[in-house]
Amino acid sequence: MNKEDFYIGWQHAAPAGFVKHIKKVLIALLLMILSLAVVLGLNQKKFDTGNFEFGKITEVKGIYSNNPIPLLKIPGEKDLSGNYSTITIPLIGFGKFGAQTVMENLEKKAGISLLDKEIVLKGTLLYNDGKLLMQVEEKDNYNLKLNNKSIPERRHIQEDSVSTELKGEIVDPKCFFGVMKPGEGKVHKDCAIRCILGGIPPVLRVRDQYGNSSYYIIAGKDGKPINKQLKSFIGEPVSVAARVVIQDDWKILLTEPANIRYISRRELVYSGSQTISCTDYCKQ
Amino acid sequence: MSVGYLAVGWNRQKKIYDALLFCFCVVYLLSFIAITAISNPDYTFETALIRSTATLATLLLHVILAIGPLCRINKKFLPLLYNRRHLGVTMFCIALTHGAFSIFQFHGLSNTNPFVSLFISNTQFNSVSQFPFQSLGFFALVILFLMAITSHDFWLHNLSPRVWKTLHMFVYLAYLLIILHVLLGAIQYETNPAFFIIILAGAFSIISLHLIAGFKEVKKDNQNFSVETAKESLAGFVEVASVDEFEEARAKIFCIGAERIALYRHGNKLYAIHNFCKHQGGPLGEGKIIDGCITCPWHGYQYLPHNGQSPPPFTEKVSTYAVKIVTGKVWLNPVPFPEGTEQAGAEIPFEKELHIKTDE
Repeated sequence: MNKEDFYIGWQHAAPAGFVKHIKKVLIALLLMILSLAVVLGLNQKKFDTGNFEFGKITEVKGIYSNNPIPLLKIPGEKDLSGNYSTITIPLIGFGKFGAQTVMENLEKKAGISLLDKEIVLKGTLLYNDGKLLMQVEEKDNYNLKLNNKSIPERRHIQEDSVSTELKGEIVDPKCFFGVMKPGEGKVHKDCAIRCILGGIPPVLRVRDQYGNSSYYIIAGKDGKPINKQLKSFIGEPVSVAARVVIQDDWKILLTEPANIRYISRRELVYSGSQTISCTDYCKQ
Repeated sequence: MSVGYLAVGWNRQKKIYDALLFCFCVVYLLSFIAITAISNPDYTFETALIRSTATLATLLLHVILAIGPLCRINKKFLPLLYNRRHLGVTMFCIALTHGAFSIFQFHGLSNTNPFVSLFISNTQFNSVSQFPFQSLGFFALVILFLMAITSHDFWLHNLSPRVWKTLHMFVYLAYLLIILHVLLGAIQYETNPAFFIIILAGAFSIISLHLIAGFKEVKKDNQNFSVETAKESLAGFVEVASVDEFEEARAKIFCIGAERIALYRHGNKLYAIHNFCKHQGGPLGEGKIIDGCITCPWHGYQYLPHNGQSPPPFTEKVSTYAVKIVTGKVWLNPVPFPEGTEQAGAEIPFEKELHIKTDE
């Protein structure tokens, strides 16, 4: 740079010495932003495989139940034990709300209880890791198709299991199974709190040493929602002592806040009996 | 410089600056989102947008904070300083995109006002691992917002340069909040140490640059001068330099007590004015006399050497000081005259005369 060079921004052009230097700085900056984009882009945690069929409405026929949360049961064929292999679809509302109010309003409109009735619900599906949920809204179900005839009695798997203690993270299933990525952990904690306080059922996600996950809907000892009491535990690594009830393809933890305690995140995964493997374990 | 208030006082260099800034931002955002999409087939655009804007805003804030000390260390960086306000406003807009999307995604469509939810959802303020980091980002965004909306000479003049500068110094608080926001949020979620290393390296660079520039300034501040008391004609003056140390159209800066004085040579005279530019406190002594005016190196504000006034129609004024030359030595009175006071300046004797007097 010439000693006489002096930069003034409002002049038409910068002195040659400044231009030369700034060009080098700009090239360095360009290389830096490209490197950062590559390093940060490649090293972020992998996105979950969950899917939310945003904008796509699907019709699902099933039997409505609200025990312990609003859900739709789609009975399949009998298995070798004579049980029906039922697919359970927990229902959730729009935004960060549960489906309880939607279903109550639909019942009011229909003038009868929908409990144990075969209905056709329209909604948006979301799914991940073998679990299927559906977001339902009143506006999509004004003309609810309803089968008033009695449903033939079917034998579903519904058994009490032993009391147990499980370690995992309490997540909101709407975000976790498809709407948000990530739908877990510290960055998602506030959202999970809002969803669960809005009526979306809390789910305990438990991982084994191989990275496989099991999911448990959490309810009170009497089977009623305890969403509000769980607020401080949501998004945290916790240990839950509970009685496990298996309802078809979902497991329910019946517990109370006093039986939940904080643990360190390191304790979440270790070899052992973290996952309750359905009926075999339960029948012991 | 402009007489009236314009939304943006465009000139060629500002246009080049903004065009390059826009291109850099677009290149980063597209690169980050493309790499995310390619390496994560299950990615969602909202998350990629939240992450790309978060990292870009943090990167730009580092650049903004580095420009000041870099210019103190090497004047060749001054073209980056000239339009730093546009860089700041751009950074705020990107941070706002990140904040708005995050607040909508994590707190919107719920049974609580999103801004209330931000503070009542996670209330574990007493835990490091579970600290509600989003509130830190929110407060940083509020500071950046106040800075962005006052990033105009209208506010600089109406708030007064001192208040304006104080407000804009809050950028360091915003920076601290953002670093904590990242450390207590994304860094706790991400498992790759690259994120922690990068944020730590960024903070280390900013602190180092400020320390280096600070030490350089301290050297200037620590000059020792003693006030003349023996000779009546020089009472209150201090000897600061030899007359032959001054280059035409350039200045030397002297810190005497609380005063920072720029002593300029203009033709065969020396003039002293206060070193702080009325615009943003730029170091006038590091400027140059152009078209007969002392020109600030930061944004090109100009002052006449003999009275410290900006040339009409501009109205800025700085203090002037008395200067004397006695036997080749320059004497300066550090007591300022009121801003804009006319001074005759000290005439530099012809070189022969100077040598004769010195020899005597």
